[in-house]
Amino acid sequence: RINSDGKPAAFQPPPKPVIIDKQKQREERRFLSPEFIPPRGRTDPLKYYIERKDMIQRRKVFNIPEFYVGHILAVTTADPYANGKVNRFVGICIQRGGKGLGATFVLRNVIEDQGVEMCYELYSPRIQAIEVLKLEKRLDDNLLYLRDALPEYSTFDMNMKPVSRLEHEEIPVNKLQVRMKPKPWSKRWERPKYNVKGIKFELPEKKMEEAQKWSQPWLEFDMLREYDTSKIEEKIWKEVSEELKK
Amino acid sequence: MMPIWTKSGKKHAVTLLKVQDCHVLRYISKEESGGKTAKLLVGGKNASPFSKSEAEMEIFREAGVPRKQKVTTFGVTDDAIIKPGTPLYAAHFRPGQFVDVTAKTIGKGFQGVMKRWGFKGQPASHGQTKTHRRPGAISTNKAAKVYRGKKMPGKMGNIYRTSFGLKVWRINTKHDIIYVNGSVPGHTNCLVKVKDSTLPTYKDCNKNPPFPTFFADGDEKLPEDLYDEEVFQFTDPSITYA
Repeated sequence: RINSDGKPAAFQPPPKPVIIDKQKQREERRFLSPEFIPPRGRTDPLKYYIERKDMIQRRKVFNIPEFYVGHILAVTTADPYANGKVNRFVGICIQRGGKGLGATFVLRNVIEDQGVEMCYELYSPRIQAIEVLKLEKRLDDNLLYLRDALPEYSTFDMNMKPVSRLEHEEIPVNKLQVRMKPKPWSKRWERPKYNVKGIKFELPEKKMEEAQKWSQPWLEFDMLREYDTSKIEEKIWKEVSEELKK
Repeated sequence: MMPIWTKSGKKHAVTLLKVQDCHVLRYISKEESGGKTAKLLVGGKNASPFSKSEAEMEIFREAGVPRKQKVTTFGVTDDAIIKPGTPLYAAHFRPGQFVDVTAKTIGKGFQGVMKRWGFKGQPASHGQTKTHRRPGAISTNKAAKVYRGKKMPGKMGNIYRTSFGLKVWRINTKHDIIYVNGSVPGHTNCLVKVKDSTLPTYKDCNKNPPFPTFFADGDEKLPEDLYDEEVFQFTDPSITYA
């Protein structure tokens, strides 16, 4: 390059390349299993601390993977009455309940036209392995409406192969709208209290408007029901991640 | 309450009881108390000294101990007498022992006969006039009186009740916590009296308990957690059936 004077310009180094460190991005995404968060109540926090110590101890020995409602899991448990003493079940996780050591998750599958739901305890010593076969979040927190949906939405092959997934990607959200069997259902899923977003309602407009009569719009403004867990989650996340790294 | 698993894979529900600042307050000899055995006064959780009269504070001052919220008596044989002022710890109990737990039940206030005594009441319809939860008849014609102790509505709860024969599964010596099988009367964080079981089936169950009690400044160094033989510890791998 030549300046307007005719002399060569000073050497300008090329601009530094911007490195996006994908590992750092991955660490920013934290997942704290919901059973670590203590419920609102008047119990002594010492009880939750001791329970957490036991849960961390179990997690050090046995790997409990990160999973949400909507994932397809395969669980192998020790069963004294089965052939080979081991029982394997594959299903979609419908709900995760319980806090502390008694946390449970329910897997649903349809085997030979019969719907089967198995409720497993996360920290039970009889569980040999939990594998995540397919990762996908759904629009809702619990998929109990699958009981009233067409059986094709709950059938999964028992010998399904695990779907491969890259480490740092975000968990995909499946915006599937499920078609239901004809009414009557086990619960009136069209009512606003269930807040279900994953159903394709084929009901007439009149029924949908009638269901809105049971809406409680004041609930979201109720201050006594507020339970802000962000600070508690931060503390517990630090504690748990430090213990697991040891 | 927490779940606990045994080595065979069975789950049991367990209540956590914390031993919080327990001290022996006074020794009452057999003749003084007038009973069959000598008695030891034991005090529980620390509380503020300002809301008690001087006479009541005397016991605490003699023992050299802050004022306790609850004071109970334990019947003790002569070889198990402890000096007033010694602290008591959870390590006094060992896993595998059986224990009776006494506490005041949750108060329900004035309750009707259906909730308090489990009466069936009357049907909701078919002509019942203003009678759905009432006791109905209270005595017969021939008796011509109502017997003493007739079950009637009244204040329910807030009385001392005991759960007998509860097994101790685990003891945490660092935080002084006893893991006791099953449920225990009382609300969460209420004060509770834990005694060795008096049931005849568990008479010979205690093998070498710490006698008269566990002294913290003694030579015994206990591990942080003491487990019963059958309890599944989370440091072990998952259970398999051979």
